[in-house]
Amino acid sequence: MTTTRASAAAQHAPGDTSTLSDRVIGWTLTIGGIVGALAAFVLAVEKIALLEDPGYTPTCSINPILSCGSIMATGQAEVFGFPNPLIGLAAFPVVAAAGAALLAGARLPRWWWLALQAGTVFGVVFVHWLFFQSLYRIGALCPYCMVVWVAMIVLFTYATLHNLERGHLPAPRRLTATLLRVHSAIPTTWLLILTALIGVRFWDYWRTLL
Amino acid sequence: MRKTGMSTNLKVTLGVLAVALAVLAGVVLVNRGGDTTPTAAAEAVVRPDSHRLSTAADGKTTVVEFLDFECESCLAAYPGVEKLRAEYGDRITYVVRYFPIASHPNAYNAAHAAEAAARQGKFEPMYKKLFDTATAWGHQQQSQAAVFEGYAQELGLDMTRFKADVASAEVAARVKADATDGEALGVQGTPTFFINGEKFDGRPDYDGLKAAIDASLNS
Repeated sequence: MTTTRASAAAQHAPGDTSTLSDRVIGWTLTIGGIVGALAAFVLAVEKIALLEDPGYTPTCSINPILSCGSIMATGQAEVFGFPNPLIGLAAFPVVAAAGAALLAGARLPRWWWLALQAGTVFGVVFVHWLFFQSLYRIGALCPYCMVVWVAMIVLFTYATLHNLERGHLPAPRRLTATLLRVHSAIPTTWLLILTALIGVRFWDYWRTLL
Repeated sequence: MRKTGMSTNLKVTLGVLAVALAVLAGVVLVNRGGDTTPTAAAEAVVRPDSHRLSTAADGKTTVVEFLDFECESCLAAYPGVEKLRAEYGDRITYVVRYFPIASHPNAYNAAHAAEAAARQGKFEPMYKKLFDTATAWGHQQQSQAAVFEGYAQELGLDMTRFKADVASAEVAARVKADATDGEALGVQGTPTFFINGEKFDGRPDYDGLKAAIDASLNS
């Protein structure tokens, strides 16, 4: 079944043994893009609500640690001079649309994949900077922002793995094969490390909940 | 080939998750057991975001007071505390933590007002104001929120922000977090003092506290 899909996508001959089929990548980009776009959308709406009424408490301000209100008011929330979620609002839907196109059987050229690579590199670097700011400078977490972090890490991982597997990015064959063999363990481990950092940073708070 | 590839991936991923869960379970268990250890308790006595009225450079002596602005014993202790603070200044770290008593009608309102003031860097003036005027607003069934707003105005606070903060879930949670720490530390009434993480059992007046502070400074 998957084989027919892959051949329909005309990217690979029937019997192709790629670990990450167009189907897998297509779904990953579609869902990752939609999730990221939704989170960015909610953040943008909350930001507007906050601008309309400074007394507004965002829906994600749950306790002193999980609190968007304090984060949205910081300079880090508009690094480029405008609210960060606008970037996600523009970029995530593009990723989702490309994923859907792949599922529909479209074939995308190398330059497109390299552009996606550049976009996800920017995104993943950016969310890690935000992660650092959030934990060690602001000292609070914003739930919707964390959804964006997760989406970005998954998208980056799978875009990169795909580009390695299809040879869009040069890399030793063995390395690529090894990474592909444990593809979902990569973002899982990555996210667990971030989770552990959050756990340590706010340990004093979490233990009061135990 | 795909089948084996997939299953290796799944195995490794689930393995990673299992290890993470095991670590988490271990941490939780150790923490549950360790709730009474001095270090865990010491951390709960002063949090990074706790309000410090003064900070000792050497960090040798830390006095923590869990208080309720609408409590007569706190009000009784207040002059002694202020005298001590004036005397010792920056030789001691003095920390104030909220422990509103639910049976006092405006305990929470007062704590929220203090926290809202703290968000504009005016915790100490509001803390003083609330105690200095406690007889005027204390022990009344009606909400004294308007009175506290008046104080905020006198202190020159941004009133839009103040009103928003007083009503915000964040401020409520911040006050609650202090009270939760207090409960975990065995605070039952106010004021309860901790000196260097140890519960102070002496008389909470000028002489009693002074003796304990001197003992710590000279140790």
